[in-house]
Amino acid sequence: MNAYLDYQSSKPVDPRVIEAMLPYFHDKPGNPSSLHAVGDDATAVLEEAHETIAGFINAEKDEIIFTSGATESNNLGIIGFAMRNRNKGNHIIISEIEHISIHNIAKHLEKNGFFVSKVPVDQYGRVNIKKIAGRITEKTILISIGYANNEIGTIQPVAEIGKLCREKGIAFHTDAVAAEGLIPLDVKRDNIDLMTLSSNDIYGPKGVGVLYLRKGIRISPVIIGGGQEKGLRSGSENMPGIVGMKKAVEIMQGGMEEEVKRFKEFRDILTGNISKDIPKAYLNGHPKERLPNNVHFRFEGIEGESLLLSLKDKGVSISTGSACSSKTLEPSHTLIALGLLHEEAHGSLEVTIGRFTDEEEIHSIINALPEVVGRLRNLSPLYE
Amino acid sequence: MKSTQYSEKVLDHFRNPRNSGTLEGKNVAMGRVGNPVCGDLMEVYLDVKNDVIKDVKFKTFGCGSAIATASMITELAKGKTIEEAEKITRGDVADELDGLPPVKMHCSNLAADALRDAIKNYRAKQQPLAGEKEKSDAGKKEIIGFVEFLNKGVFNEVEDLSLFKDKRVMVLDKGEQSIETALELTKLTPRVIFVTASKEVAANPELKTQLKQSDVKILYESEILEIKGEGEVEKVLVHDLNEDEEYELFIDALIILQ
Repeated sequence: MNAYLDYQSSKPVDPRVIEAMLPYFHDKPGNPSSLHAVGDDATAVLEEAHETIAGFINAEKDEIIFTSGATESNNLGIIGFAMRNRNKGNHIIISEIEHISIHNIAKHLEKNGFFVSKVPVDQYGRVNIKKIAGRITEKTILISIGYANNEIGTIQPVAEIGKLCREKGIAFHTDAVAAEGLIPLDVKRDNIDLMTLSSNDIYGPKGVGVLYLRKGIRISPVIIGGGQEKGLRSGSENMPGIVGMKKAVEIMQGGMEEEVKRFKEFRDILTGNISKDIPKAYLNGHPKERLPNNVHFRFEGIEGESLLLSLKDKGVSISTGSACSSKTLEPSHTLIALGLLHEEAHGSLEVTIGRFTDEEEIHSIINALPEVVGRLRNLSPLYE
Repeated sequence: MKSTQYSEKVLDHFRNPRNSGTLEGKNVAMGRVGNPVCGDLMEVYLDVKNDVIKDVKFKTFGCGSAIATASMITELAKGKTIEEAEKITRGDVADELDGLPPVKMHCSNLAADALRDAIKNYRAKQQPLAGEKEKSDAGKKEIIGFVEFLNKGVFNEVEDLSLFKDKRVMVLDKGEQSIETALELTKLTPRVIFVTASKEVAANPELKTQLKQSDVKILYESEILEIKGEGEVEKVLVHDLNEDEEYELFIDALIILQ
């Protein structure tokens, strides 16, 4: 039996989404820029897709820009905003636990004359609103804090951050990829100015994403060309992808509440069993303010890659914050920001559940873990 | 190559490690290399008689190849004289395992180094004259930022422990009172770190056991070099005296009792 419990890394595309996309590869080849009937059909579908996505986050249809995915949306939102507004200031605030794309965008901006402050988080991974406020200067133009953390699942006080930003006249960008499909998003309620969304994270195809851009917020494009998406994202629209994301949103709108309820049940079973069965197992992230599909533990005395390998032998696919499974050999910056030592960050297990997870998969990891952890601890000089 | 694309032989040694465990006795020498900071820690135990390695065991905290290379080196070393064993190279270990992913070559290095360290310690045992050198003046140096952050996250006395609820608190070893404070704090927050410059905590046996069984994370052979933050304590620079390495650690409060 194979248990796939790494939805955070990649999600399967919902079969209903694939079905909706298929006609747009051959039967409906239209380019929205064309003036003939086939083009008109594409224009109408593109318009509908803008409306559907806007409805998903309580935005207006012309506030939606389709991109090639979350990374591009982060680039367009942050670099595009910084470049367009640099006459107003050159200071940007992010948190220590942003997605790697945000950290690297910040580095890029630092090389180009901007200053970036990183707000630390508490031991549960939450940013403190006072610490953000304390870092604001008259040069601050943008604050970018992820809605929820993709690794440890901690949800940020987004409404509070939005309120602070609006009061101070600072733009607020949030990467909502980890939260979409799990938390109802509302850009008006939360005073969000720019928001990143991905299609795959709601079981749509990869290669499509969205940047929400509030009316009145000005950005420069980062991809220049034929002026699609109001000149902010050139390149012929990826119609099959956009139709797929639209369908993924429609499915989500119909069943998110029920789905989240199921995830929570699975999550709580898993968390409860791990805590009960394995000594010196510590939950990473916030005990309550966390994504309903995320379970993240660290086990004293063992290293994540050997944990991952051992579970692989048992047919269980999970993720880890261990350095040895990464490209850089550095442990996860998120786990380090929680205040963990490197050796602790290395011993992490990340389980993310999703639409196609069943009870059997949950039980297969519950059954496999105690033995695997026990064996590795027996080999370890760090566990007595 | 992906880090997890191991040869069948590596996987075999990972799944069924040979000679794992520890050894005890007067002929036993132990070698230790790596450190948990980089994610690998390896111990090799040798039982040597007439310069021949009679038995060898290992313990490893680390990735799949760290476990496999340690297992392999015990097989390679067993039965050899210490002169022969000393010549085993990282290349030998990797070759015997049908190769390692390039990014993992340091793991095979560690195994050979751990063996050599054990041999070195065995030889030192034969000439017990060379006494252990006293460690530096750890703990006596002034911590940069102490004055700046005093009462902004750094405390030299504690009256109201509730101040530390849900905070990441670091307590510097100042004797039994500081241990008691650390233990008391575990009732208020899941994260208490106790920092001591020594190899062992100096306290009465009961308190020592209590500390070891608690959720207090103990950093042995460590000192704090610097306190950092914006307006209040946010992180400290820790010096690992044993490895002579420095690293930053995010905390919210630091208690240095007078």
